[in-house]
Amino acid sequence: MSHAAYHPVLDPTLAPPFPQAALPVLRNPQLRKNVAHAIDVIQAKRAKLVAEKTDWQELRSAASAIRMHAIENLGAYLEEFEAKCTAAGGAVHWAADAAEARRIILDILRQEDASDVIKIKTMTSAEIQLNPFLQAAGVNVFETDLAEIILQLGEQEPSHIVVPALHINRSQVREIFARRMGLKDLSDDPQVLTAAARTYLRQKFLTIPTAISGANFLIAETGAVGVVESEGNGRMCLTLPRTMITLAGIEKVLPRFQDLEVTLQLLARSATGERMNPYNSIWTGVTPGDGPQSFHVVLLDNGRSSILSRPKQRQTLKCIRCAACMNACPVYRQTGGHAYGSVYPGPIGAILTPQLMQMQHAQSLPFASSLCGACYEVCPVKIDIPEVLLELRSQVVDQERKDLARFFDPMYLGLRIANLLFWRAWFFHASQFFGRIGLSFFTRRDGWIHSLPGVGGKWTQTRDLRGFPKQTFHGWWAARARQSSPASGKEAK
Amino acid sequence: MSAPVPVPAQSRQLILDRIAAATQSARKDASQLADAYRALPRAYIRRGSLSAAARVELMIERLHEYDAEVVECTPEALPAAIAAQLKASGKRTSVAPEGLPAEWLGDGFDWKIDRGLATAEIEEAEGVVTAATCGVADSGTIILHHSPAEGRRVLTLLPDWHLCILRASQVVQTLPEYFDSCRQPPSLVTTISGPSATADIEMTRIKGVHGPRFLHVILARDDIRSAANVGLRPMKRTARKE
Amino acid sequence: MGILLGRPMRTSLFITCYNDTLFPETGKAVVVLLERLGVDVDFHPMQTCCGQMHANTGFRAEAFSQAKRLVRLYQDAETVVVPSSSCVAMMRDQYPGLIDELGNDSLRREFAAFLPRVYELSEFLIDRLGVEDVGAWFPHRVTYHASCHGVRGLHLGDRPYRLLAKVRSLQLAPLPNVDRCCGFGGTFSVKNAEVSSAMLAVKLQDVVSTGAEFCTALDNSCLMHLGGAMHRQYLGMKTIHMAQILASTEASPAEGVV
Repeated sequence: MSHAAYHPVLDPTLAPPFPQAALPVLRNPQLRKNVAHAIDVIQAKRAKLVAEKTDWQELRSAASAIRMHAIENLGAYLEEFEAKCTAAGGAVHWAADAAEARRIILDILRQEDASDVIKIKTMTSAEIQLNPFLQAAGVNVFETDLAEIILQLGEQEPSHIVVPALHINRSQVREIFARRMGLKDLSDDPQVLTAAARTYLRQKFLTIPTAISGANFLIAETGAVGVVESEGNGRMCLTLPRTMITLAGIEKVLPRFQDLEVTLQLLARSATGERMNPYNSIWTGVTPGDGPQSFHVVLLDNGRSSILSRPKQRQTLKCIRCAACMNACPVYRQTGGHAYGSVYPGPIGAILTPQLMQMQHAQSLPFASSLCGACYEVCPVKIDIPEVLLELRSQVVDQERKDLARFFDPMYLGLRIANLLFWRAWFFHASQFFGRIGLSFFTRRDGWIHSLPGVGGKWTQTRDLRGFPKQTFHGWWAARARQSSPASGKEAK
Repeated sequence: MSAPVPVPAQSRQLILDRIAAATQSARKDASQLADAYRALPRAYIRRGSLSAAARVELMIERLHEYDAEVVECTPEALPAAIAAQLKASGKRTSVAPEGLPAEWLGDGFDWKIDRGLATAEIEEAEGVVTAATCGVADSGTIILHHSPAEGRRVLTLLPDWHLCILRASQVVQTLPEYFDSCRQPPSLVTTISGPSATADIEMTRIKGVHGPRFLHVILARDDIRSAANVGLRPMKRTARKE
Repeated sequence: MGILLGRPMRTSLFITCYNDTLFPETGKAVVVLLERLGVDVDFHPMQTCCGQMHANTGFRAEAFSQAKRLVRLYQDAETVVVPSSSCVAMMRDQYPGLIDELGNDSLRREFAAFLPRVYELSEFLIDRLGVEDVGAWFPHRVTYHASCHGVRGLHLGDRPYRLLAKVRSLQLAPLPNVDRCCGFGGTFSVKNAEVSSAMLAVKLQDVVSTGAEFCTALDNSCLMHLGGAMHRQYLGMKTIHMAQILASTEASPAEGVV
């Protein structure tokens, strides 16, 4: 299947439900192979470094506590950040939602007369769909991360938070670069391709005076912003231009500079399996003579404050965007990121996306998990993702309880009936009896069921099912009791 | 789509109000907040247990792991070591931060001192020589605070070759030790742990996307007293071969 | 332990709804095994379900009503043994939240008294009875699948391995990627049937690669999923709950096996 034929939708308001969205990926051996390979590489590196870091669990506990403390006191820390950043020469803007964030950014660009902009990868800008908005307003947006320019030039969507183009192999990259950069005789050697990208981007860095970034951390104590990266395009974007705009979710706050000693140790190991990523940049407002002289921070709510309002779900905001959960997830391993229909895929996406949408969209995502718990095990800030998934599932069901369509949903009806059957032992036993009779029509001579209609057919697509045995366990027990003492059964009161 | 455009101050208050409503039960005053922060669990390793010498060894090992070339010298021999590195690497034109010690700027090289160099001039230079603030041995990380001897951020970004002078006494073992050493938070920090890299194409690790592709470190052994020079290893150590 | 008490240890078997219906032989094996070890086994005939299926699919109120019923049912039990890690994990991980949110003080007290008395089968054998060698004989090559609830929910650790190591003539073949989910996930297997099947396919590759005749586990839920595909594909392998391996002796080998 060529990449051109496959257009995943990463807008939760438009994306098909997860089971449906997963199908084209499950049928794509190339994509599944790329995903599994990338995951295995990172997992092996991560495992080695985690084993070496003897205080790994203590770091996780500290990070979890620091992030939760920051989130529980978000108002105070945001105000401190704003005051310090402003005192240092930055301008802090507040955007209640995606539309407002886009408008604020465009207004700044217009003020600065900017028709071109260079960008560092930021999930947050994809969340607010910034690029198409700016392009439509006549601003040329140039992505500068290698994966992002591959995606931008190849007109595709990202499939992973940390390695966004992992679904594209080297010959596909070669084809994209040759076509869009106008390069003849380009080999598919990753070294050569990377050098081509370096040259292509150099001119952009040196000539475009306006940049947009995200932020990995906002430090309340000093008003500083931190960006964590590997490629160096971040340093280019935040050093060379005249104007810098940083878009950051309100939850990115850390109380103090010193808290980085915990998060930086966890982030690189979790995200890319390194002790430390190549470059971290921390800057505070404007430094005369060094870097952009006009600096803006756009703080984005866009649903985060509503997540904050629910104590059981609040932990979602601790996320430091490392993607370790994705790399550990056996569901993600088979489906890649596109199936989640959101810029935030994988386990974190399954809880973050529906919540950002105020549970109005992406309701299939909380169910896109077998609840195995591998994500929670690796999360550097100890987000109990299974716990939040269960919480969101019950909210989706509660929505369904008010919807007339529920009477046509076999799963809903089945579970409601099952609940009634479990209420009394004799209901349960009767259902076992009649169930066995009903299923006997489908049960073959070897005692197995090969095919079932309706919802049962989802099981029998790929698996046989044991026919109900003639005697249940409780039946056997009762019979045994009757044998051993015919007068009174050996039964518990 | 055509909702009224909120005035900037409105959104700020709106967001803060939402947050306040959401975290009601957790609201604290300034001193309660400070107390809560101080009470956060920090059972992770703060100080390393390696000796000073072992620490420096570890730093060198980590630098070698990402193919940085490391040379050791005594503090007195520093200017000569710098000149030797420049000569050996064939770098004639180098940028130097304004605050770099004058004695480090050897003769026979075309030094561009940054007293406001244009970006184009920095782009043309073959290399840059700077001091550093700290080295973290656990991860082989070099930390710059962009002081006068370290230079503006653009200096260590555009040239392809960076010669970094690190004193052994600046090397700590753990990252928390670096943070403990900061009397107050710096306003600009760049941490360098290897040349830039990407694994975006088929997870094949490629080094040198943007930023200097070549890092050379001179480790000035100001931790060894001059009388014990006799214990100093051979001058140059090349990067470990794969 | 029975010696210390001066009487046989007593336990009440919670068979679980799906074992009662589909895998009665697992329950029989638990009874045979525990009685052989000198334990007095009770069975409460009014038991139905722990509520896991409902809780995991978002039907919390329904799950709560089942939880309440179950806790009340076992008020007088000395211990409760459950041959299903996922059901025990449900009680330990989810009952507290459900009962806190939807229950009253009296139920909370009953639950607090109930929970410490619940044991998954391997926990009962190793922690409560203090035995590893249960006198079992099972002359086959076996691989052990570590179900997610057992590994991450109950932290069973090496308990299953210690039990299998003492089974006479059993050849244990280690399973590659043993911690990776098989893809069952309860209603996930139906709501996301295709993804579940993809995860199953990958898991089966590892299981088949062991060359084992049997794949065992402490949960029939995973085994139903794995075994269903083995049967569909004529893989020449079968699944068997560990209780049945542990109950098997020369005198009385596991049903339908030898």
